[in-house]
Amino acid sequence: MNSEILTQSSTNAEGQPASATKRGRRRRNLWAYGYMSPVLVALAVVFGYSFVEVVHYSFYAGGVGQLTYVGTSNYHELFADPQFITSMFNNFKLLFTVPVVTILALALALMINTTFRGVRQYRAIVFLPYILPATAMGLSFSYLLQGNGVLDSLLKNLDLSFLIHDWLGSPSWVMFSIGSVIVWQQFGFGVVVFSAALLAVPGETIEAARIDGASWWIVQRKILIPQIRRIIEFFVILQAIIVLSSVFTYVYVLTGGGPAYSSSVMEFFIYQNGFENGSIGIASAAAVVLLGIASVLIAIYIWARARAAKEAG
Amino acid sequence: MNRKVLSGDASASTSLRSLFKRHITKNVLAMVCVFSMLLSVMALPVSGTAGAASKKTNITYWFWGESDIPGMTKWMQQRIATYEKANPDVTVTLVPQSNSTIIPSFTLAAQSKTGPDIDTQWATLPTLQPALGGAVTPISDYLPKSDTSHWLNTNENTYKGKIYAMPLYLIGVPLVWNKKLFKEAGLNPNTAPTTWTEFLADCKALKAHGITPIGMGNKDGYFGAWMFAIYEKQELNTLSQLTEGVAGKGNAETKMLASLKTMYTMFQGLIKDGYVNSNVESLSLNQGWQLFPQGKAAMSLTTDGNVLSWAKSIGESNIGVTKPPIWGKGALASTYDVTQSSDEFITSWSKNKQADANFLEWLHEPVNMVALNKETGAFPADNQFPAKDITDPLARSLDKLDTSGSSIWLENYIPPQIDADADIPAGQLITSGSGTPAQAVALWSQQFQLWRTQQPTQFAQFKTWAAG
Repeated sequence: MNSEILTQSSTNAEGQPASATKRGRRRRNLWAYGYMSPVLVALAVVFGYSFVEVVHYSFYAGGVGQLTYVGTSNYHELFADPQFITSMFNNFKLLFTVPVVTILALALALMINTTFRGVRQYRAIVFLPYILPATAMGLSFSYLLQGNGVLDSLLKNLDLSFLIHDWLGSPSWVMFSIGSVIVWQQFGFGVVVFSAALLAVPGETIEAARIDGASWWIVQRKILIPQIRRIIEFFVILQAIIVLSSVFTYVYVLTGGGPAYSSSVMEFFIYQNGFENGSIGIASAAAVVLLGIASVLIAIYIWARARAAKEAG
Repeated sequence: MNRKVLSGDASASTSLRSLFKRHITKNVLAMVCVFSMLLSVMALPVSGTAGAASKKTNITYWFWGESDIPGMTKWMQQRIATYEKANPDVTVTLVPQSNSTIIPSFTLAAQSKTGPDIDTQWATLPTLQPALGGAVTPISDYLPKSDTSHWLNTNENTYKGKIYAMPLYLIGVPLVWNKKLFKEAGLNPNTAPTTWTEFLADCKALKAHGITPIGMGNKDGYFGAWMFAIYEKQELNTLSQLTEGVAGKGNAETKMLASLKTMYTMFQGLIKDGYVNSNVESLSLNQGWQLFPQGKAAMSLTTDGNVLSWAKSIGESNIGVTKPPIWGKGALASTYDVTQSSDEFITSWSKNKQADANFLEWLHEPVNMVALNKETGAFPADNQFPAKDITDPLARSLDKLDTSGSSIWLENYIPPQIDADADIPAGQLITSGSGTPAQAVALWSQQFQLWRTQQPTQFAQFKTWAAG
């Protein structure tokens, strides 16, 4: 009996010895790792090495070749530097664009989630700003938003002079202006993402609801939006990561961080210190802080994905 | 049965193995092929360069000048073509730089000791700071004094008796006024404001007639930086008052910050009184200047090259030029604001320094200097250039301003990091109305501290330079 049990336990369902299966699996795994190794090495070099170097440099002052170890003083200086604090808060201010983009894009995606003549062309037009080169966009918006520029002239002609501002030259309005440009560009991307998700919702569900007498509003609110909830979550987190760590272009082309740092963001701070001033240490410390903040968002995103997968069974 | 199964398994396993082997062999062969292709591709240019290097001298020239002198890049391209024709063993590759890349690109190049053989940089500290860091070779080591003695304003790039860079042209910063608009405001169109009182009176009269007195732009911060260069200088008796302040020597910094506060208060007054275009903060310096040739502003502080260019659009008889009105009470207040602006130097890692120096000196040949003036209107930084060749009356007035008396462009004497992180944003605080003179000065003070702790080597080099 014991020997039978032993025999059974050491063989698998196909009657092969368990040790042989393990060996085979291990061999297959080794081959898999072997095939993955070039990519792993590339990742280690590109990301791992850079990450280690950035953390390492954050403890030094001076330029490359003239580095002096300063311990954690770069981090202390960073949080005592009004420019960095302004930059960080500006990134947080831009987080307000996330709900705006999401709501506007979702609303439009729901409205055009039907078949009408030219719907594809319309989607393409809405998507267009997203693929425009940043320099062209920056130049256009500079003329549009500058004091006495196109927008101000339009407001003046419409007898709305009380709304006239130096949109890019006033520290009070500059972040609002940059945020608006971000909304304008990211909006098209949102519409395309949500439209694609809505197209994947089974038509039968909507049909059944309509037969049961559900209004257009109820269909959107109770069926369509819940069905694409995961995509909305994904989009929100992606946008949050974008406004925290990928808004350099907007700031660089529209304002150059001015006036007087009032539109500087963390990436711009890193660029200015690392590349313009050659202060590798402070730029690296700022990069580590930015990475930390972005990591929190990425962790939330991974957690949301894992939860979704768990719920889906 | 078992044997059969086993034998069947074995044959399956054998065929799998052979298949696997074939795959591996194929993959390995493919990898070897790819690697050898990569190696050959990587090896080709190296051997190519080595082969070419033995026959030809390649000079990589990172060049800037178009923003100062429109047409400068074209002039340089033509000179290079002529030089290469006369010297078939030399190839000069021109890499134009922009305002925003001129310093950061060279900073990176100096860190890795790769990039240009000849570089253009803004004069004095942007040149001398990398020189003190070992990235620049003194050009006077490669050229005889008989050649360099013809160059003008070499004092801007001289340290311990050595000239580190070659000037190409001189730029003066005059006050330019529109005679037609002055007349419209009831002012004498032929009388320039020379004192601060006269200047403010003119501004007041112009504004009262609905004319914007001064047209400038500060989105990029250069108007503020120019105010520092022109008017902070007028507060000083000697340059060492500035350099000792930057170096933090004794109470020099406190004194310097106090004089800065006075200057920013004056600057704030101009903005508050509405004497500068209201959109100054959302226009770049270049965009702000355009208000003058468009007839939308009566005065501007600009460069010689722009004055000559604007004369073509609004008529030479409508333009007047003079030194910026005197506001400060320091001994340097009477000096003019001329600089070589940018200069050309040989990098310490260049393999053909003598060839670089020969090419640069060739640019100063009278024929090239005359061509520079004729094609761009720029005034060559060379005393061999015959001033009598300047026939245009406006150009003659500008040349007279540039060459009479001593000149200092103060911005050249502060470290580039202080210029970018203190001078520029402090001016923006004033023009945007978001800060007070006290806040502007606090920003300078804070940036001094940051620079000193973040760049200890640069700080030490600056102190050495300032002491020398």
